[in-house]
Amino acid sequence: MRTNVFFSIAKKEIMDNIRNKWIIIVSVMFALLTLVVSYFGSIFSHGWQDLGGTIAAMMTFVEYLIPIIALMLGYATIIGEIERGSMSSLLSLSVTRFEITLGKYLGLAAVLAFTILVGFGVAGLVIAANVTNVNYIEYLIFIGATIIYGLIFLSISLFFSTLFKKRSSAIGGAVLIWFSFLFIIPIVFTGVLVASIGLDKLMVGSVPNWYYGLELFNPVSVYSYVISLNVVPLNQIAQQNSTVTITYPSFISNWLLLLILIIWITAFFFLAYWRFNKKDI
Amino acid sequence: MVTQFVKCPTCKTTITISGEPGEKIFLTCPQCNQKGAFTIPEEKSAKTIGTNSATIEVNGLTKSYNHFKAVNNVSFTVNKGEIFGFLGPNGAGKTTTIKSMLDLIHANTGTIKINGIDVRLHGKEAKKYVGYMPEKVAFYDNLTALQNLRFYAEIKHAPTEECIHLIEEFGLGDTGKKRVGKFSKGMIQRLGMARAIIGNPPILILDEPSGGLDPRGVILIRDKILEMKKKGTTIFVSSHILSEIQEICDRVGIINKGVLVAQDTVAELRKKLNLKPQIIVTLDRMTSTIENEVKKLPGVETVKIQGNTLEILCDGAMKAKVIVAISSAGGNIVNIQTKEPSLEEVFMRYTEA
Repeated sequence: MRTNVFFSIAKKEIMDNIRNKWIIIVSVMFALLTLVVSYFGSIFSHGWQDLGGTIAAMMTFVEYLIPIIALMLGYATIIGEIERGSMSSLLSLSVTRFEITLGKYLGLAAVLAFTILVGFGVAGLVIAANVTNVNYIEYLIFIGATIIYGLIFLSISLFFSTLFKKRSSAIGGAVLIWFSFLFIIPIVFTGVLVASIGLDKLMVGSVPNWYYGLELFNPVSVYSYVISLNVVPLNQIAQQNSTVTITYPSFISNWLLLLILIIWITAFFFLAYWRFNKKDI
Repeated sequence: MVTQFVKCPTCKTTITISGEPGEKIFLTCPQCNQKGAFTIPEEKSAKTIGTNSATIEVNGLTKSYNHFKAVNNVSFTVNKGEIFGFLGPNGAGKTTTIKSMLDLIHANTGTIKINGIDVRLHGKEAKKYVGYMPEKVAFYDNLTALQNLRFYAEIKHAPTEECIHLIEEFGLGDTGKKRVGKFSKGMIQRLGMARAIIGNPPILILDEPSGGLDPRGVILIRDKILEMKKKGTTIFVSSHILSEIQEICDRVGIINKGVLVAQDTVAELRKKLNLKPQIIVTLDRMTSTIENEVKKLPGVETVKIQGNTLEILCDGAMKAKVIVAISSAGGNIVNIQTKEPSLEEVFMRYTEA
């Protein structure tokens, strides 16, 4: 049987990232981050934290870091190839622009998923060998959700790589995207919340349900909800000598969150294809 | 000489054989020692190739950028098995036309058919027949020559073994593990030509294939073009350097400022423009009798005298008569040179107008 052309294209993307050592560098970075946070990250204890504790301690890092990695990986995938000139040869072959878009996305997605899996996975195994309480399932959910989170930003970066005429503008676009989702949108949402219910009510801890709904529009919050819902130390707040479990509005479920994440991925993938299809090479 | 790849029926190893078309070759599989015979298929004879069946048809192609018409209502056809030269100065619209032919650029109006298949509507199907070498040849810099070619061969569904032969053939056999990013411009250009002919496409589209090549590279590419023509490949080649094109092209199209100003055989274009060959005759001694005798001849356009040298512009058929006339007028000929009008002149006339 003949292999599908998008598999060939995906394979080439993977080979490219093996040859430029991207896979090794980023995997090692993820592993080191996890190990360092796990060993030195807790202010309450010395030595290794368990997997749940490690996740809780490095959530913020991961939230910020994964989009950067994904945007770096994908921002130039189409425009870079157009600018370099190799796109004309690729497109002169018997392939459709959809196959190229899909092939590139699949290849980069495999690279990203592999680095997250190996980087966090190896670190997870090291930690598991050093602690007594090993909660594998939670850690696997964390890895899976992180991969999906990365795929969203990869999809957005794929779109950005078709949006601009130059590689240098595309990198600007990628920085803007990162800044928007991690800073601007959260600040705007918080602003809306404070403006509508007032700071005094907020101080006593009552966050209205609609705010949770609003946050679903930001994939960064959606990702953190997934982790909070499924990883134990994150959905509990220490209060004096007991812990209280945070409750979310009933409409927030794993299925809804997963659906939202998948919608982000597919929407930007098809936007990328639509733009690329119209482009003169 | 034809090279073929055959798969051993028992162990599926690919074996490379070469021989003349129609020749029966007996071989033994190096893997499993299975013996067998293989007959190299006859090349398609000229009879089976209809000379009138166009393989590339461009009809009313127009592409504008804002208000600038880069290509304006261009129509031409390229027939099966011919080499069609596409000439024009830089910025005339050559690359825009070529890119539109492959739907890399979406034309505003016009249709392009490759082997009768509309490129806009059925691009994937139409492009199966094409090998393309872009003006700006580029590869994946992180990969080696072989890794690059294998990638294209895989998409073209061509045997990947072919890539090793092509790399050897284009003098890149010793590059081994070297990244293409470290190649010289000439090496990239040669690899670009190798990439275009992967899978033996029936149509080759070459955009300025000898740009940036040293003279040896230019000859290598030209010989490859002629070799492909012998196999019956239809070749469309663009250039702004005319001398190398006029020797190999059956027909040429001349484009200037987005408009196709001429489309004909090289000989026809010369005839239409009434370009005449020039004879330069050097004598040991010049006399006015000789000058007058030559000037009297019908078909002689101009006669220029410089010392002992006569520069005569005349009809092609008159060349021998001019020499006889000089001789019978008492001229003692030391040297004769003839200069055929080059396509350069044809080109200049069309593009200056």
